[in-house]
Amino acid sequence: MNVIGDMVPALALSAPLLRVDGLTKFYGVQRGCEGISFELYPGEILGIVGESGSGKSTLLQCLAGLLAPTNGDIHFRNTQGAEVDVLALPEPERRRLMRSEWGIVHQNPRDGLRMGISAGGNVGERMMAVGKRHYGQIRATALDWLSRVEIEGGRIDHKPSQFSGGMQQRLQIARILVSEPRLVFMDEPTGGLDVSVQAKLLDLLRVLVRDLGISAIVVTHDLAVARLLTDRLMVMKDGHVVETGLTDQVLDDPHHPYTQLLTSAVLQA
Amino acid sequence: MANSSRHGECEAMRAMIEVQGLCKRFVLHNQGGAQLPVFEDVSFSVAAGEAVVLTGPSGTGKSTFLRLLYGNYKASSGAVRVRHEGQWIDIAGDAPRLVIEVRRRTLGYVSQFLRVIPRVTTLDIVKDTMISRGVDESEADQRARAILGRLNLPETLWKLAPATFSGGEQQRVNIARTFVDPAPILLLDEPTASLDQRNRDVVVDLIGEARHKGTAIVGIFHDDETRERIATRSFDLIPFKQAA
Amino acid sequence: MTLASSSTSDITYNFAYLDEQTKRMIRRALLKAIAVPGYQVPFGSREMPLARGWGTGGIQITAAIIGADDVLKVIDQGADDTTNAVSIRRFFARVAGVATTEATEEATIIQTRHRIPEAPLSADQVLVYQVPQPEPLRKLEPRETETRKMHGYGEYGLMQVRLYEDIARFGHIATTYDYPALVNGRYVMAPTPIPKFDNPKMDHMPALQLFGAGREKRIYAVPPYTTVRSLDFDDHPFQVQRWSRPCELCGAGDSYLDEVVIDDQGSRMFVCSDTDYCEGRRAEGHVGTQLEQSAGQRLTGGSS
Repeated sequence: MNVIGDMVPALALSAPLLRVDGLTKFYGVQRGCEGISFELYPGEILGIVGESGSGKSTLLQCLAGLLAPTNGDIHFRNTQGAEVDVLALPEPERRRLMRSEWGIVHQNPRDGLRMGISAGGNVGERMMAVGKRHYGQIRATALDWLSRVEIEGGRIDHKPSQFSGGMQQRLQIARILVSEPRLVFMDEPTGGLDVSVQAKLLDLLRVLVRDLGISAIVVTHDLAVARLLTDRLMVMKDGHVVETGLTDQVLDDPHHPYTQLLTSAVLQA
Repeated sequence: MANSSRHGECEAMRAMIEVQGLCKRFVLHNQGGAQLPVFEDVSFSVAAGEAVVLTGPSGTGKSTFLRLLYGNYKASSGAVRVRHEGQWIDIAGDAPRLVIEVRRRTLGYVSQFLRVIPRVTTLDIVKDTMISRGVDESEADQRARAILGRLNLPETLWKLAPATFSGGEQQRVNIARTFVDPAPILLLDEPTASLDQRNRDVVVDLIGEARHKGTAIVGIFHDDETRERIATRSFDLIPFKQAA
Repeated sequence: MTLASSSTSDITYNFAYLDEQTKRMIRRALLKAIAVPGYQVPFGSREMPLARGWGTGGIQITAAIIGADDVLKVIDQGADDTTNAVSIRRFFARVAGVATTEATEEATIIQTRHRIPEAPLSADQVLVYQVPQPEPLRKLEPRETETRKMHGYGEYGLMQVRLYEDIARFGHIATTYDYPALVNGRYVMAPTPIPKFDNPKMDHMPALQLFGAGREKRIYAVPPYTTVRSLDFDDHPFQVQRWSRPCELCGAGDSYLDEVVIDDQGSRMFVCSDTDYCEGRRAEGHVGTQLEQSAGQRLTGGSS
């Protein structure tokens, strides 16, 4: 046993990318989510599961800056390695963060895309937003990203309204990942898609996230999606987190009564 | 094949797994809080290059034990320490991100079931293990092809997703993705169950090769012949079975 | 400067139609606009005796700044003799009794829609633009709350997307009018429906440029000698329109040309859109091809 005692007990891994403390959102007296705390490390993919009304979407919106929380803190470690208090950031800096180091994949691609602008323009927007002014380079990068999300280059000048749902979702992903964000929020990313299209998208997301070393927070009610995409899970019920842990552990050996109910209520995931 | 750990007595016998006081019971909240005790106070150790086979009749919790070693099940109490790149990580107690890191590099697990994202090709599944460990694409491809060939999986299947494969074919994909780049610790839950004799021989060889390179192996094998050929030692869970 | 009224003015109205309090309100907005070049200042746009969208923004600015000794020129599509231009000129002649002119160099205030005169403007002149849509981002972002933030934080990537779309579709930046420009390195503004041909004239112009949008209730300004840079890409630099031939009436090769249908057979000719400039050149003896050919046909310059 001396062998064990002599060894360093923990890995010297990097500091957390995101630190959330006591995040709470009330809509008047109605509880959205309450007392949510967790840490997200670089490269980690955290799933948030629960039924509709469990507060998982409220939590994601608070985290992603789309909704102002009633209480709590969110700290993010930026590229300079400094921890910034996201909720205390001046608005222009928060917006800059959200269109460069962060990204949001909406369930409905229409919420994340500019439908009246070509696929290339959609992908190029974030580049132009950070000051890129060379058309040829912007277009070349857009083409590269379209191919990475498996959209034919020939469709670069087509508008998203001419795309299928799955293509729109892939375009949304390209539009966000082009800025190489470090943290991506996904709200039911495969929600509106056919089962066959879901699988392809899941694999694409998984590979892109791994290759780019992105951290992600994925909200889903689909436990199969959670299993395939996430490393860790938080199970939510009535605005609270009732269980957390390794994704496969939570799904295969659930401890909280609600999680046991949730995992036994679905078809084999 | 003694049921006792000899680690510490020999310098070469470097411990890779140290289980202490491990206890597991399931509580079924939706069935009136029924308690299902599995075993208690298991202490157990495996050294590099050892192949420990779990024995005992079904129901003694062999699969559960393996899943606890992997962190797939949560220990009710006790510690499951594994040696990960020179440090001890407690699978049963340390942060999930550490467990994930250990699984990525140190701890491999082959179950009887292949669980993968639909529509990903066989070749990509096998390469994925190596790519996530930083092996470059062309080398990963070469090694993936080699092991799939060795496991007699027809080349026509390599570019297909395994969803439609037979049980034996899926099982071989599962073995290939693990043994293409064997981790320092491998947990094997009946990896040869649905294989024919020829492929079972290949798997036995693969296990032997990994062990000789220093991989520590804990496994469950139902047929006696395979067990005899693989095991350097056996471990029986019956003494730890809780009197329910 | 506002109390004088000439004998020809209609004394039932206050000088220049608007009451003094309204003029003060507009002048305060103008001062703010000049202090923050390119920034859209909201103002309480009044009902005017013509429909919104017909230049009420420009008229209110002109009314707020005009004095009895000012000389007013009004142009519409570059021409002094179109309906809108004539009406507005008559309006101010009546309610302010001011002198009016068609000659660019004689004017102290030039109210315009669509064009900047070809003749260079001087430091003692004011150019008043009638603006239909002051928000350059509107077509891309319908939410006012969002466009205000984009201006506030200088987030102009989306403006660039609009130009990107042009190149993607047409191979070049096909926007020919209301071409977005960055004022004083800070605010992107919509230069009204002037052709992009006129954009370079706005840069470091000695004259004060004031922009009024009556329907949208916004005023903005470019002070004299201010940088106005048309947006573009490094590999697709800003370019103005060029014509392969000179004005067929005055032979000018440096002016903005209008295409004019001259008979029932669909014959066309290209002539200066700035009628005053064209006439001035012809008075100096410059002759275009059309005049050479049909010297006896009594073709006049005011052909629009």
